[in-house]
Amino acid sequence: MNKKMNRSIKDSAFISVLKREWIRMISRKLYFGACIVLPLFSIFFMATIFGSGQMENIPVGVVDYDQTATSRSVIRTVSAVPTFKVTEYYIDDISARNATQKKQIYGYLVIPPNFEDNLLNGNGATLSYYYHYALLSVGSEVRGAFETVLQTLSLSPIVVEATALGINESLIESFLVPINTQSHPLYNPDLDYSVYLSNPFFFILFQVIILLVTVYSIGIEIKFKTGNIWLECAKKNMVIAVLGKILPYTAIFVIMGIFANYVMFGVMHIPFSCGFWPLNLTTVLFIIATQFLGVFLFSLFPAISIIISIVSMVGSLGATLSGVTFPAPFFFPIIYYLSFLFPVRHFIEINQNLLYGDYGYAYTWQNVAALFAFILVALLLLPHLKKAILSHKYENIR
Amino acid sequence: MKILDKIKYKIQDIISIMISEFSTIATSYAILLVLIGGIFVYGFLYNYMYAPNLIRNAPIAVVDNSRTALSREYTRLINAAPQVSVYTNAADFPEAKELMKKKEVIGIIYIPEDFDVRVNRGNESIYIMYGTTDAFLYYLAMQESSSGAMMAIDEKYRPEMLVFLPQQDTPIITQSKAISVVGTALYNHTEGYGSYLIPAVLMVIIFQTLLMVIGMISGDEKNTGALSIYAGREKSFFPVSRIVLGKTFVYCSLYFIFSLFLLGLMPVLFSLPNIGHKYEITMLMIPYLLASSFFGLAASVFYTDSESPLLMIAFFSVGLIFLSGVSYPLELMPWYWKVAHFIIPAAPGTLAFVKINSMGASMADIRQEYITLWLQCIVYFIFAVMAYRYNIKKCMTQKTRKEIGSFM
Repeated sequence: MNKKMNRSIKDSAFISVLKREWIRMISRKLYFGACIVLPLFSIFFMATIFGSGQMENIPVGVVDYDQTATSRSVIRTVSAVPTFKVTEYYIDDISARNATQKKQIYGYLVIPPNFEDNLLNGNGATLSYYYHYALLSVGSEVRGAFETVLQTLSLSPIVVEATALGINESLIESFLVPINTQSHPLYNPDLDYSVYLSNPFFFILFQVIILLVTVYSIGIEIKFKTGNIWLECAKKNMVIAVLGKILPYTAIFVIMGIFANYVMFGVMHIPFSCGFWPLNLTTVLFIIATQFLGVFLFSLFPAISIIISIVSMVGSLGATLSGVTFPAPFFFPIIYYLSFLFPVRHFIEINQNLLYGDYGYAYTWQNVAALFAFILVALLLLPHLKKAILSHKYENIR
Repeated sequence: MKILDKIKYKIQDIISIMISEFSTIATSYAILLVLIGGIFVYGFLYNYMYAPNLIRNAPIAVVDNSRTALSREYTRLINAAPQVSVYTNAADFPEAKELMKKKEVIGIIYIPEDFDVRVNRGNESIYIMYGTTDAFLYYLAMQESSSGAMMAIDEKYRPEMLVFLPQQDTPIITQSKAISVVGTALYNHTEGYGSYLIPAVLMVIIFQTLLMVIGMISGDEKNTGALSIYAGREKSFFPVSRIVLGKTFVYCSLYFIFSLFLLGLMPVLFSLPNIGHKYEITMLMIPYLLASSFFGLAASVFYTDSESPLLMIAFFSVGLIFLSGVSYPLELMPWYWKVAHFIIPAAPGTLAFVKINSMGASMADIRQEYITLWLQCIVYFIFAVMAYRYNIKKCMTQKTRKEIGSFM
């Protein structure tokens, strides 16, 4: 009997905290902006920023010192590559280099003087190409495309000679390239940037928002000295107080997360190997873990003005430490191990597994466990948070 | 004399605003934390994080079904490539796949059984490369090393393949030369990822922390009603513009020192590319800091307290790098993001800095970005003054409302 009553008190406390938070949430435009507008903006941004996702028609230039039929045929071959668009013809290296500096072109091909002569005389001709590596991601595409097209081209004098002698073409080919390769980029055969980055980077932006909103919604109680009312509402039960507080946000964030998944995989047709449930359950777990990381960080030093700037920096680090752009194992060891303290890193590991091969739970159970651990660790600090709220020590720190 | 007095009064006014702004910054833990944490800790941390710079010796698995001298030679060659190292060549294909699932290797080289036989028969022999695309840098490393090894082994075996050609033709064919192809990376001699990204990150750090600081100060002003000391100014443009100028002067002089640290010292300490001319970097920073300050002050209309600005600013750091056009070409973005590039000072500022610092561009080469920044200065200055007039007005109405409330 007693137990039952206890429980109903708890339930009502939980519901009253929940109601209180809901009212607080809808009474300020800030929450609407941070919980709905910013995530929607992030979804839109990451879904559209890469255009078609393919690096194609990248402007490149040509310097043709030779001006012969051969050099023009080289240029024709190069302009047929879908990665490039030959936008400009320069009279010398210097002007091409200047255009690269102005970022009008991302690379250029130089055909030296007497190219045709040297080629026909068998004196050995050289083609040089330059690619922009201060802008590495574009530069590496340009380099790859130049390499592929020019490699084939470089053997063409021999092919021409051999064909003239009447040697069968496959014979020449196996003479020139006895060992050949087939390259397969797994999961992302077109090396499409939106397949690679749209989904992880949305969640990288999203985790910053989640962390900050969580810290803000709790911290503002202390700053505006409403902490006592909040705790009374929860019948002095800290767990209920925190759960009731973050649950409305969890609900909104989950809706946003699932919507993001829908946009990426449903509308944009980014391929994924797993089904609906694993994908979205991971998203839910990630959102909750990130919220609890926010609770944890705030509980360490419950003064909002200090901790919110720290949290915003922690959030921004997630972009690097998630290991999406620069792979995590190649950081220095200390940074590599540090990266495991970020929920987004675990989320990316799980998500890449799900999206790319759906290898199964066995390969990511540590990451899933780690996400749950964020929740536990935050709960451990709740007594400290409660003490801090009741002591009113942190209210005037700014 | 009257004009002189007026000027004197105005200068005194600006100076008093500067002093009060400076003491606000110097007495707030939170702001100092953003400055120290954002500028100094971030400056070091980002450089340290990307200091490995390159993918070296990434583990790959070789599935060698041929098990011949040729296949072993190829394995040795690919192992010699700096980008990758052979983790195992004893695995069969399912094992290698398993290793890849466990993320112990980043790719698989599959050498078929007839690898050696085909070459000896005068046919083309093929091996297959699979690379993960978890990170494009992985695939890039895999591709570079695989094609490098292929070229090396092809060159070695080409003479042996001559026996399969008609004998009378071989002298002619051996005499004809292939075109040699030379590729050169421009502006990034280490070809590293860090040396490409960090210069851009440094500029974004400057912009983001400046925006945060301005947000925290102006949000707090609105929350506490501190703006009421400027009551009466909101009626015309120039008195308010003195507030904006006074504040901006403080931000710019602080960030002048921070820029010296981030853009001057960091590249030297971490050997980032810095072929830019100091004069040009300084000239760029003037409109960049001004435009960012005015932008931040103009945005103060949206802030309600000192913490809420962080909610709106912090999440977008990565987005700014994209918008700058450093990591993904602007030409390929849809038009509305190209427009956004010209609206937010961080985007043209970052691009112009990368051009100067990494590519050694001159003022003429950054003309477009430079003019954009100055235009932004003008526009956002007007917006900032308008924002402050609105802020003061709102502050006054709130104050009178409170006073009426206390009378009741």
